[in-house]
Amino acid sequence: MAKKARKSTATKNDNGAAKVELNDRDKKTLKDLVGLADRIVVDAEKKRDPYLDIPARTLSNVRYNKTKRRIELCGNTNRRQLFNLSQAKSYMQTVLVASGCKQLIDEGKTLSLRGLYYKLKRSIEGTKEETFADQSESDPVIEDLEVGMNSLREELHLYASNRGNLAGPLTVFDHSTGDEIDCARMGSGGYSIPSIVENDIIEFKKCTAKFILHVEKDTVWRRFSEDKFWRTHNCILTHGGGQPPRGVRRMLNRLHNEFKLPVYCLLDNDPWGYYIYSVIKQGSINLAYESARMAIPDAKFLGLRSKDYARCELSPSVKINLNEQDIKRAKQIARYPWFEHKKAWQKEIEQMLANGFKLEVESLISKDISYVTEVYTPDRLREEDWLD
Amino acid sequence: MEVQTEEDTGHDEPATNGAVNGAINGDTNGRRRRATAQSMAASQRDISVSEFFAKNRHLLGFDNPRKALLTTIKEAVDNSLDACEEAGIVPEIWIHIEQTGANRYKVGIQDNGPGILKKQIPLIFGKLLYGSKFHRLRMSRGQQGIGISAAGMYGVLTTGKPVKIVSKIAPRKPAHYYEIKIDTKRNLPEILNGRGEGEDIPAGDAGSKYIEKHGIEWIELDHGTRVTIELEGKFVRGRGSVDEYLEQTAIANPHVTIHYLDPECGAGTGEERLWPRSTDQLPREPKEIKPHPYGVELGMLVAMLQDAKSQSLSQFLCTSFSRVSPAVASKICKTAGLSTRSSTTKIGRNEADKLYHAIMETKIASPATDCISPIGEELLLKGLHHVVPGEFYVSSTRPPAVYRGNPFQIEVALAYGGTSTANRVPLDVLKDLLGESDARTLRQFLTSTFYGLGSDAADQIIKEAGIGPRSSPGKLKPAEISKLHEAMRSVNLEAGQTMNVLRYANRVPLQFQHGACAVTQTIMSTNWRSYGLSQSRGQLPTGPVTIMVHMASVWVPFTSESKEAIASYPEIQKELRLALQSAGRKLALYLRRRLKVKQEGERRNVFLRYLGEVATAVSDINSADRKKLYDQLLLVARRKTAQADMKLDQRGRVIEEESDDLESDPNVLIVKPTNDFGIRTTESSNGKKGS
Repeated sequence: MAKKARKSTATKNDNGAAKVELNDRDKKTLKDLVGLADRIVVDAEKKRDPYLDIPARTLSNVRYNKTKRRIELCGNTNRRQLFNLSQAKSYMQTVLVASGCKQLIDEGKTLSLRGLYYKLKRSIEGTKEETFADQSESDPVIEDLEVGMNSLREELHLYASNRGNLAGPLTVFDHSTGDEIDCARMGSGGYSIPSIVENDIIEFKKCTAKFILHVEKDTVWRRFSEDKFWRTHNCILTHGGGQPPRGVRRMLNRLHNEFKLPVYCLLDNDPWGYYIYSVIKQGSINLAYESARMAIPDAKFLGLRSKDYARCELSPSVKINLNEQDIKRAKQIARYPWFEHKKAWQKEIEQMLANGFKLEVESLISKDISYVTEVYTPDRLREEDWLD
Repeated sequence: MEVQTEEDTGHDEPATNGAVNGAINGDTNGRRRRATAQSMAASQRDISVSEFFAKNRHLLGFDNPRKALLTTIKEAVDNSLDACEEAGIVPEIWIHIEQTGANRYKVGIQDNGPGILKKQIPLIFGKLLYGSKFHRLRMSRGQQGIGISAAGMYGVLTTGKPVKIVSKIAPRKPAHYYEIKIDTKRNLPEILNGRGEGEDIPAGDAGSKYIEKHGIEWIELDHGTRVTIELEGKFVRGRGSVDEYLEQTAIANPHVTIHYLDPECGAGTGEERLWPRSTDQLPREPKEIKPHPYGVELGMLVAMLQDAKSQSLSQFLCTSFSRVSPAVASKICKTAGLSTRSSTTKIGRNEADKLYHAIMETKIASPATDCISPIGEELLLKGLHHVVPGEFYVSSTRPPAVYRGNPFQIEVALAYGGTSTANRVPLDVLKDLLGESDARTLRQFLTSTFYGLGSDAADQIIKEAGIGPRSSPGKLKPAEISKLHEAMRSVNLEAGQTMNVLRYANRVPLQFQHGACAVTQTIMSTNWRSYGLSQSRGQLPTGPVTIMVHMASVWVPFTSESKEAIASYPEIQKELRLALQSAGRKLALYLRRRLKVKQEGERRNVFLRYLGEVATAVSDINSADRKKLYDQLLLVARRKTAQADMKLDQRGRVIEEESDDLESDPNVLIVKPTNDFGIRTTESSNGKKGS
């Protein structure tokens, strides 16, 4: 142990003495991990069942904080026991993930979720059973550990695969590579938002933008990027490839808070689009424990709106009929506490249900290729026609 | 029944004549007249029973060479056992099959029975429908007196070799030796040796020399009978074989010792097989009873009235039938409108008809049932345990009941667990089986040779062995055979195995026509799912189960003369169902308990599986001593699954001492399995309790 610890400090020293803060975080995480292991040893010595208490990440265990306007985790925990038939395997997996993260911290390296999955995947000795059958088994266990130890994913030296791009008048400094990046000069591809965007890794140098426009998907983002929308309107343009990953959400949150930039979302007119907005605005149920770092309660929903079909005189061919699941989901979203008392939102969802169809942002292209960038979005922004 | 059989024979006479009529062509007065009454009369004559059965041998179970061999042995063994039991001798039987040519076998069956008097020998073995069993209502294996003489006749017809009989009644008395042929025209024996008188073999050393000199087959005994028949036949193994018959006989007759030399032993390549008896106690002697009035038919009643010498009607009813008291007799007479004192000779057709209906209307008590001697629950368990490997045995005997005036009793024994014969078959036996099989495909071979092996399991085996499913069983290469053998041992057949049903009537195994039998039908219509077995609708249940069902009765209602299936009388089906359910309930108890222990064991396994990983991971994090941690966790695991520990043995699936109704039940036997694969143990939990 001592030997390993020395090795890990050595690694960090190589990276540069400037990261005292980072060292402290690693030390805290390490201490938590060792504490977790020590508890198991003590339990075993006292012939007790070892267990882990993990905060429950279910709808019933989250609460909408009206004053802070975001979702928060309540105190309920699930007890995970080694000697419980249905929990034994996930208990073993949790401990495995902990040991994997310990090694990562020791060696000062980071892995993707999939990387850790491969690192820990092996046959259990004497059986044909795998420690993890596929990644869908390891991902929730990692989240469990994050919540259980109250540490962030990056503190465990893990990151998710990059998804989401950014373009606009923003300069950042990436401490992990030592590069200064001008997001206005990233070409047609834009700056790929990394999974970990904390200040000690991505440091904001300069930002002259006036607002942030977040769009749902890559295709729409490319339209805006090609039309140099961010240049003409002096904004930061982001997308999150559907449901935005943590890196994108944290990036939006930091830009919003540090530069006081308003966030506008241009999403599809369907329950999924509403939900993406809801996650950006108040946080998700699954990551409720990170809402404070993620949620942007002031984010606005720019479009598409249920009334846009009539307002923009779209052709009937762009309609996509709602299926049963959409209807169910829409009704569910309408009942969320943060939408329940907003008349505009209730009206919006009602109208979509009355329409019986949904609209994608791309449907505006049927009017004109650049309709969305040259007419639709500027009009909405000028008229301040959005939902809150 | 007696009447019925006679009628059967009678019916065939005109039919045969009809055929003869058609063959004759007469031509008179220019008109084409085929035959005249006179010319037809010339060809009308008696037909002897033996001629009739020589032509219709399939009626007696001689349809094909394979079945002929089995039927011959079966008839001889049944007769031997009947004779021994009647004489109060604990039976010991020797069966010797020897191949004498292509499709020719010499079959010798010897018993330690009372022997047969000299003058009776030729009649018993050389005359059809001669015997002691037909004219009485008594529980016995044989019923008619056709069997062994028909077998001899079949032998003579197919090979021309005489039937050889040796019989001895006391140690000091000479043994009688006969060589007999049947004169089928006259249905009479024709004695070939000793100038038509047979020969005597003196007792003692002189006799031994004589036997050696004349090449007579005889195992030296104080008393007993040996019959040797040479016949055209086919020796097979597997289903419907002699092996199977003897094995099943051993189950139902635990008081019998069987020595068996199959054709391979004769050729010097095999060993004698022995089924030793598991008890010295003979079954209770069955009593002979008079017919019950409800079982009588009109024709039979008329015949009985004619047979009865002049006596009063009341007297006749009381003496000829069981359960008829003078009060009941007068009631019958009153209903029939006849006087109790009228003489039987004065009863005509009309009166007999009235009397018959009066009998059916009058309430008469059921016949006495003490005339039946069941195998008994204890012996059933013993017998089944001896022959069928398993881990759980249960038996159930119903109280006697009555169908159509005939008392009968149903017994059921059930064995659960153990491995299928297909799992246990040795490589050389498998080779032989493959060589002998006439199945066209391997799949057919597997399903027809092994009991309880369904087509699904066969497909699985073939797939595992990697052999084409259509390959012929006779043309497999040695490497393929060993692959097949390997697959048969490794494939888990328990899941797809269907219930193995052993049917018995008066202790005789029934091997054919299982679909037509009341036993199979009742098993199929019973819901086994509630007893923990899986079963598709209208099918036999699946699982490693062997069930034996015995029907004992003074008259077993067979669906045909060859005694292969029991007829479905509602009363019989009801008793069958109740007996099956009673055994099923106990099986369900056991299976539930077994499942519980298995689940505990699995729980333990799940924990054990993960403990190692947990210990490694923890010691990676905080450098704790991995081994110490693992051992400590193991202790906790042991404590958590202590229940499984108590009842688990090394094989991880069995129960031992647990005070439960099952163990104290005398009709249940739970066997502790050994680690040796496929070898049976004789330990029982009941037996162990005492020690």
